[in-house]
Amino acid sequence: MKLLIVEDEQGLRESMQEYFTEAGNICETAVDYQSAMVKVNMYRYDCILLDINLPGGNGISILKDLKNNGHNDGILIISAKNSLDDRLQGLDLGADDYLVKPFHLSELRARVTAIIRRKSYNGNNIMTFNEVEIDLQAKTVNVGTNSVKLTRKEYALLLYFIANKGKVVSKNAIAEHLWGDEIDMADNFDFIYSHIKNLRKKLVEAGSTDYIHAAYGMGYKFSD
Amino acid sequence: MRLLTKYNRINLITTVVVMLFTGIIYYKAVSVILTNQVDKDLVVEENEIFEHVRLNHNLPEVYKSDDQQISFSKANEPVTRRFIDTTFINQEEKDTESGRGLISSVKVNGSNYQISVVESKVETEYLIRIIFSITIAVILLLVVSLFIINRLTITRLWKPFYVILNNLRSFSITDKKGIASVSSNTDEFNELNSAIVTMSAKAKNDYQDLKAFTENASHELLTPIAVINSKLDTLLQTDQFSEQQSKLLGDLYESVARLTRLNRSMLLLVKIENNLINDHQQVNVKETIELLLAQFQEIYADKSITVTTQLADKHITISKSLLEVLLNNLLSNAIRHNQQHGFIEISLNYNQLAIKNTGKNPALNSDDIFKRFNKSSHSEGTGLGLTISKQICDNYGLGLSYRYHDLYHIMSISFKD
Repeated sequence: MKLLIVEDEQGLRESMQEYFTEAGNICETAVDYQSAMVKVNMYRYDCILLDINLPGGNGISILKDLKNNGHNDGILIISAKNSLDDRLQGLDLGADDYLVKPFHLSELRARVTAIIRRKSYNGNNIMTFNEVEIDLQAKTVNVGTNSVKLTRKEYALLLYFIANKGKVVSKNAIAEHLWGDEIDMADNFDFIYSHIKNLRKKLVEAGSTDYIHAAYGMGYKFSD
Repeated sequence: MRLLTKYNRINLITTVVVMLFTGIIYYKAVSVILTNQVDKDLVVEENEIFEHVRLNHNLPEVYKSDDQQISFSKANEPVTRRFIDTTFINQEEKDTESGRGLISSVKVNGSNYQISVVESKVETEYLIRIIFSITIAVILLLVVSLFIINRLTITRLWKPFYVILNNLRSFSITDKKGIASVSSNTDEFNELNSAIVTMSAKAKNDYQDLKAFTENASHELLTPIAVINSKLDTLLQTDQFSEQQSKLLGDLYESVARLTRLNRSMLLLVKIENNLINDHQQVNVKETIELLLAQFQEIYADKSITVTTQLADKHITISKSLLEVLLNNLLSNAIRHNQQHGFIEISLNYNQLAIKNTGKNPALNSDDIFKRFNKSSHSEGTGLGLTISKQICDNYGLGLSYRYHDLYHIMSISFKD
């Protein structure tokens, strides 16, 4: 996939770029309004990660410009503003999603993957990872010919893992993804363990390879 | 006691005392003057008797008079001449009146006689009484008119003061509008008013500055937190970690997560205080609770907490997102501060919502728990959850209260009608 990251904060920009850079991905960056405008006018991207507060201008203007020119790039707004109005304004103007800082890179990746999937797999709602086949429309999972019955959270967890395949995903990120930002009630994230265990068991019982690996007690990695 | 009452009381007491005092002095003075007058009459009478004795060498005929009685009696030796207060017997009316008498003596043909001239003082006393009554009447009239005048004018004079007082009472530092200026033709009130207007404007200004500072500080913190977060995520992708390093990383994640939550809570609180969230709509509280409970199911199940609900449909007009924040806070507290194999009971009816939970802590101080950063020592929370909940309830006129009963911590929200 081809991405453009528009973000003025160097540390954040580099982390995002690094997280997305892998075989088959092109990941470009822009540090301010002008360079972003130049890039979006010259090239097309699968998804643009757009910060709102930029030196030299507002990310919303870039979004408006893209929509006025009829470009169909996926747009994920990244903002420090967590107000409903900003969110609605962004989405009304045609942004595909809105993510509030600070965020986990795995969450960002899951959102970007979802946007690109929606954009590029028109009509084709089947996603596969080796022998695991997911019907995004019907929300069903098959391993070969065996269907796997997953709870809603297990299903969301599987999608999250596949979007972040090959990456170590922290328990915090998983908890926040499944239970929301306000997940501050748990003194620890042990309860995640049972979910992972169940998902793993169901997939393996259906004949899949065990792709989920615990990583240093901090998180999990979904990989071959 | 009100100033007016106080003033009136002092004023009236002084007036009455002074008037009574002058009344008494007046009475005494008039008494003395009139008695002197009577005494002079008595002396005139005595002189007439002396004259008669000198010319005729016998005692004069005693003639009857309405207001004067003269009598003679034999005395062995001359009596001391003196004035006395005595009684006067009114022959016609067969009445005893007070009188003034002069006792004197005269020598007729070698024998001593005591003269006693008594004059009725009834006229004098009548006069004094009238004078005294008039004085009392004047006092009463004065007191009543003073009272009325004070009441009317002072109430009118103090009117600007009460308007200013009302303005002060309704003053809220979080309100947008300031204190309205009250015009008055009394300099003191004008000064008071302008001092208050200036003070309130300054307080508002300071408060806004402080709030802006909190908001800006929280905003500025977001970016570094975002960077730390993303760097941690990146670090996690690098090489193998030793157990010690994983432990350190885990602690870092936990702290950054708390920092993030704290920061978000502060921003949210500022927003709620500023009434910036106003997507009001009809929301069914029951549905929201059921949704949240489903969301939290794994978490309370992990602690083996039994949740029982008794929910009726209840619609209120509120921002959906804020209702979720409110219920989220209360439910997470009920779960977080609960014990293994504890209980949570949720009841919702038309009038109130009550969330009861068992817990590790004894009864909490219901005055302190809604204050910022007030939390139990081992709480992992931000310390802002209940402050935010309280603020949301205040904004929508809901009553949030805490009590401890029968080993249960009970948070209840009462709905307005």
